[in-house]
Amino acid sequence: MERKRTRIDIIGDMLTSILKKGGEIKPTHLMYKSNLSHSQMMSYLEDLVQKDFVKKVKKSHYEYIIITDRGCEFVQKLQEVKEFEKAFGL
Amino acid sequence: MIRVIYSPQWFYGKDIVIDLVSVFVLLLIAFFSFKYYKIRKNKNYVYFGLSFILLSVSFLFKILTNFTIYFHVLETKNIGFLTLTYQTIKTSDVLFIVGFLIYRLLTLFGLYMLYSVYYDQPKTNILLIAYLILVSTYFTQSAYYIFHLTSLILLVLLTIQYSKTYIKNKNNATRMLASSFGIITASQILSIFVSISTKFYVVAEIIQLIGYVILLFSFLTVLRHGKKKNKD
Repeated sequence: MERKRTRIDIIGDMLTSILKKGGEIKPTHLMYKSNLSHSQMMSYLEDLVQKDFVKKVKKSHYEYIIITDRGCEFVQKLQEVKEFEKAFGL
Repeated sequence: MIRVIYSPQWFYGKDIVIDLVSVFVLLLIAFFSFKYYKIRKNKNYVYFGLSFILLSVSFLFKILTNFTIYFHVLETKNIGFLTLTYQTIKTSDVLFIVGFLIYRLLTLFGLYMLYSVYYDQPKTNILLIAYLILVSTYFTQSAYYIFHLTSLILLVLLTIQYSKTYIKNKNNATRMLASSFGIITASQILSIFVSISTKFYVVAEIIQLIGYVILLFSFLTVLRHGKKKNKD
């Protein structure tokens, strides 16, 4: 059975989804890609904006979420942590 | 009288270098474990890092003790005064007992802490094992091999754990990790026989060095994989 995702796992999934979409994504797409309900996503998104991992921008009447350099760095660090965790069985 | 030195004279200092390499590898992994804890907030990272810190500090005690003993032995030879020589040897004995007791105690606690990262321990078990480690360390004064036997058992369990992890994840770094722990375990088997011949001490130290170098490479593989995945 798959273990429950932690808060960090969810944040990692959200940022990776944005990266896979070329660094910017619509909120609805992000919600589907990261398997979250609307309220959950909004709460996480608020947290990500506060931490300066993402920023919201308006482009031709649509709102987009763009990953920042800080967000990219975090994804990189998280990938290293996951590799460490996997290798050492933590 | 307690035997102070197991190393042959030509190997003096070389064993200290080997232990310094081990300390470096252990501290490096501990540092990254604490660094990753800040991101992951998983307590296992703290216990994992602490166990490596305990092991590295234990090696530092071994190095310090060996260094002082070797220094005293060489000094005694140079001075050659009967009364002074006697006093020096007595100091070395006290240093040997205290230094090596701390080394053994910290090693066993470090290995047990690492073991409890993988095998959940109830609090009562922790107290019981801590007591048994204290008792067994005390008895290593008269029978040094008890320490190597206890370390051996803990290392075998850890090697089994890492082998199981490798079977599950088929990760190259985990395979190297399991091998490194297996090799460090082998060095403990040889250490049991150091009182028979000093050659066992030399071989055990060289095997320990190989084990820690492989541990370093497995860790570097983990770091490289983490960075490589990001680029992909």
